[in-house]
Amino acid sequence: MRRPGLCFGAGVVACIAVIAAAAPLVAPRDPYASGIDMLVPSSALHLLGTDDLGRDVLSRVIYGARASLAIGFGAALAAMVIGVPIGLVAGALRGRVDTVLAALIDLFIALPGLVLALIITVMVGANLRNLVLVLGFVMWPPIARLVRGQAMALREMLFVEAARATGGTPLWIIRRHIWPGVLPIVAAQFATSVAFAIFTSASLSFLGLGIPPPTPDWGGMVRAGYDYLAINPWMSLAPGAAVSLTVMGFYVMGRSFR
Amino acid sequence: MTMLRIGRRQTLAGLAGGMLVSRAGLAQTPILGGTLTVGLSNEAKTYDPIFSVQFTERYVLYLAFDTLVKYGPDFSIKPELAESWDTSADGKRIVFTLRQGVQFQDGTPFDAAAVKWNIDQRLDPKVNSPQRQVLAPIVASVDVIDPQHVAFNLVAPSPALFSLLGERVGFMVSPTAWQQRGDAFGSQPIGTGAFVLKEWTRGSRVVLERNPHYWQAGLPYLDRIVVQDLAGSVIGVQRLLTGEIDYVDQLTPADVLPIEKRAGIVLKPITVGRWYFLQWHVNKAPFDNPKLRQAFAHAIDRNRLNEITMRGQGTISDSPTPKGLWWYDPDLKSYPHDPALAKTLLAEAGFTNGFEYTLSTPQVTVFQQVNQLLQEQLGAIGIKLQLQPVAASEWYARVVSGTTNLTPTRWTQRADPDGLLYILFHSRGFANTMKYRNEKVDALLDQARTVYDVPTRKKLYAAAQQQIVDDLPMVPLIFGAEYAALRAPIQGFEWIPDEIPRFRDLWKSA
Amino acid sequence: MAELAKPSAGSAGGTAGRGWFRLMLGLIVRRVLLMLATAIAISALLFFAVTQLLGSPAAMMLGQDASPQAIAALNLKYGFDRPAIVQYLHWLTGALTGDLGRSYTTQQSVAAAIATRIPVTLELSLWSIALAVIAAVVSNTIPTGRRVLQPVVTAANLIGITVPNFMLGVSLIFILSVKLDLLPSTGWVPWSDGVGAHLEHMIMPVLTLSAYYFGAFSIVYRAEYQNVLRRPFVRVAQAKGLGEWRVAFRHAAPNAILPVITFVGISMGQLAGGAVVTETIFSMPGTGRLFVASIESRDFPVMLAIGMLIVVGVVIMNLLADIAYAVVNPQIRHDL
Repeated sequence: MRRPGLCFGAGVVACIAVIAAAAPLVAPRDPYASGIDMLVPSSALHLLGTDDLGRDVLSRVIYGARASLAIGFGAALAAMVIGVPIGLVAGALRGRVDTVLAALIDLFIALPGLVLALIITVMVGANLRNLVLVLGFVMWPPIARLVRGQAMALREMLFVEAARATGGTPLWIIRRHIWPGVLPIVAAQFATSVAFAIFTSASLSFLGLGIPPPTPDWGGMVRAGYDYLAINPWMSLAPGAAVSLTVMGFYVMGRSFR
Repeated sequence: MTMLRIGRRQTLAGLAGGMLVSRAGLAQTPILGGTLTVGLSNEAKTYDPIFSVQFTERYVLYLAFDTLVKYGPDFSIKPELAESWDTSADGKRIVFTLRQGVQFQDGTPFDAAAVKWNIDQRLDPKVNSPQRQVLAPIVASVDVIDPQHVAFNLVAPSPALFSLLGERVGFMVSPTAWQQRGDAFGSQPIGTGAFVLKEWTRGSRVVLERNPHYWQAGLPYLDRIVVQDLAGSVIGVQRLLTGEIDYVDQLTPADVLPIEKRAGIVLKPITVGRWYFLQWHVNKAPFDNPKLRQAFAHAIDRNRLNEITMRGQGTISDSPTPKGLWWYDPDLKSYPHDPALAKTLLAEAGFTNGFEYTLSTPQVTVFQQVNQLLQEQLGAIGIKLQLQPVAASEWYARVVSGTTNLTPTRWTQRADPDGLLYILFHSRGFANTMKYRNEKVDALLDQARTVYDVPTRKKLYAAAQQQIVDDLPMVPLIFGAEYAALRAPIQGFEWIPDEIPRFRDLWKSA
Repeated sequence: MAELAKPSAGSAGGTAGRGWFRLMLGLIVRRVLLMLATAIAISALLFFAVTQLLGSPAAMMLGQDASPQAIAALNLKYGFDRPAIVQYLHWLTGALTGDLGRSYTTQQSVAAAIATRIPVTLELSLWSIALAVIAAVVSNTIPTGRRVLQPVVTAANLIGITVPNFMLGVSLIFILSVKLDLLPSTGWVPWSDGVGAHLEHMIMPVLTLSAYYFGAFSIVYRAEYQNVLRRPFVRVAQAKGLGEWRVAFRHAAPNAILPVITFVGISMGQLAGGAVVTETIFSMPGTGRLFVASIESRDFPVMLAIGMLIVVGVVIMNLLADIAYAVVNPQIRHDL
């Protein structure tokens, strides 16, 4: 089952990355240019029709990949930066440090992620930087738990015992012996995290807490198009499909690494 | 109201609607009975007129209560609970002759004492009604002459009083019930209106039933009115099509596209549109610079705004007043769309390297669309605007507190020119969030609000509006286009220019 | 995941009687204390963050007719001008004695506002979880038609997990409501309007919300089911000549279902978020939508009350799931 998954996932991800990078070349029109022919369903000039301001939906969907990938990668990275060290320290060092950190992780894991992200974003305002930080903050606990588990398992292994016997400091042990064992797991988890980040940020955008207009943003586009489903359904369905496909690609890729 | 859950429901509705349309040519006499279901994004907090602030509350207030005077479809003042009135020679005392035999829904009589009590409550600082700030500068006191005659003693002659008595200030509340029910009055209101509020399930619906003792013989025709909560106008359109509701409004021209030609649905465009404008603080940098403001004014293409956000069905606004109201000035000089001139003015203002600012964007579709277009048009002359989204419920609070400087906004018209122009543009106007202060305008507005003679007032308001437009405390944009959509059996509906639907006189044909 | 040890088989870690009971009690007490601490900590955090960042709701409550005097009067009435800590303690003491205050926007009692909306959210959630569990278990247990069914189920799982539920919801509305006119596009009519109508309105919201969990539960269940299939007692049943379906559903499935149950508990937190989005798409008068509205309108009492409710609810569900798991699985008790 590994091969097909990896091919599909990596293929989708690569396509989307290329489209996002080459957006000005790929998109047929300027995604910001309004026009008088509003809410036109699919036509020769506009393959996916126009939105309520007369802008080309296809071009906006293409440009929307940029925001999604930026948030996805940014948030996954932020979550790793927070979660991995915490997990490492908790798993590698037993005792009180671990108990405290483990309790902390358990506490945060139980919290409803989207709800928390909602509250914080409403308060600090929605822009690229804030969204990355908020999502990273919401996503770190599962990563920390995963890393902690792996670190704990490695710790029990004989070679670590040996290292400790020969007088290695905890930090050195972590860096030299535990980290290399944890790294593959982290790498595999990264793709899944990106998927989750894009998924959650799109939901936030749908609720009105995404990147401010007029920047094309998939979740926000679905929200705006919802009112006009009967007139030009592509306005909602196209960005929605884009989100789904992107999340699917990253997720499948992440799963196939396991 | 049963929902037609049979497969081809649209065809059936189409057939039924077709038959009705063909009979519409015959004059129909009102039929007694039936339930009207209104769909509304109801933000009502209270149905106590003394404390009412929200726009949608008045949808129900005009059913449960009557006002002293009412508005005609051209904003003219007509008798309602007050049959006639006499103005003294100096204009400072108006004696109203009240209709006889009117009862509140709790059986207590409506008389001059009740009127006096109502006005006194609104003027009483301890009660703290939000209407006090508009009423206190106008009414000094109220006297009871006899049960049928009540006199208003005014601070100065005030033609604007009549406009106020046709809306929130004029809703007559039962003093007995108000004193008895206290805080609960807002959920169990008692007025003289044609319908009694029977049930209010917040977030769900309001149910009103016919008042059998209503003073107007023969009215109301309907047995029952249900105001059903809706999440938005689009849901409303869908529910209208399935027959779950009979009426929905606040529809934009884009919203009505799917139902424009549907049989069985009637569209009623509003007669006078909401006024949209872009406002800023003129008392401090950067918008205290007149050339910067003029650059904005010339850079904005209002025609295009109208084309795109209103599908061309709105009108361009050069001043606060739309055509159709008597204080409209057709000769007012305004700011034509001229990007080249705008660029020059921007440079003259000192912003040779362009200008950047944040534009507050309430999360309401029309504002979002307008702002994106403004951003585009101003961007073309070197003004970079960053759109800052704000939750709709939070947005105006920020404007009032002064945290927000640059924002679009919109207002509905009032029956008297003093209504909107004073509160927005007089230096003491409570809604003057632009911090605008021009003594000449103040003097003109102060004078115009104490004169009853219409031609004189017209001249004064024309001068005031021209000055306001010259000063640019705001850039007028457009008057919006909006629709109500009704199912064909509903008869008798007519818009009043304040955009609040009056359901009292409606009836349902078979 | 540890295997389900049958009570009749003498299990290694099984401590019966009082010792076990004391252990469970200890667990419950610890968790409840943790829950209270979390609830208070989060409420304080929310309260201070909101008041510091968003300020007083007075002007917003008054709308376009707000004047400085009216705002000042409202500030006085609700105590918005008092220091944040005073306001917070005032709220906390009220909340602990059961008085959750009045909504700033509707003047209605917060407890009443939430009480009318909870049934909606609960009903939506219960239907969705039930559907997800049943669909996941059944579709992954059916012994026949592997070659055709399996890829379909796998694809459905994938779609459920990766397609955001707002996209699912909007697509369903588009196909079933706008184009085919089969179902209404709103998610709620009261039971009093008719059982049929009520259920009809619920179909799409339930499908939307359950999709993700169908996918997630399937993955968990399938893994465990494969394990169970390899166990001796299953082979015994097969050798006895029992039909495929009987073996699958009456013998294997009940043993494989345990991890799903635990997973249901863990998913509660995410479910709260999913319900918010689903209620928004389908305009349902539930606590999720009220929560979003209360955040935007800075309706502190409502926001704090629902926030607490969500946290408490999630912790309780986690606790119940842990207890359920421990009750039937003696081997892990000593890890608690």
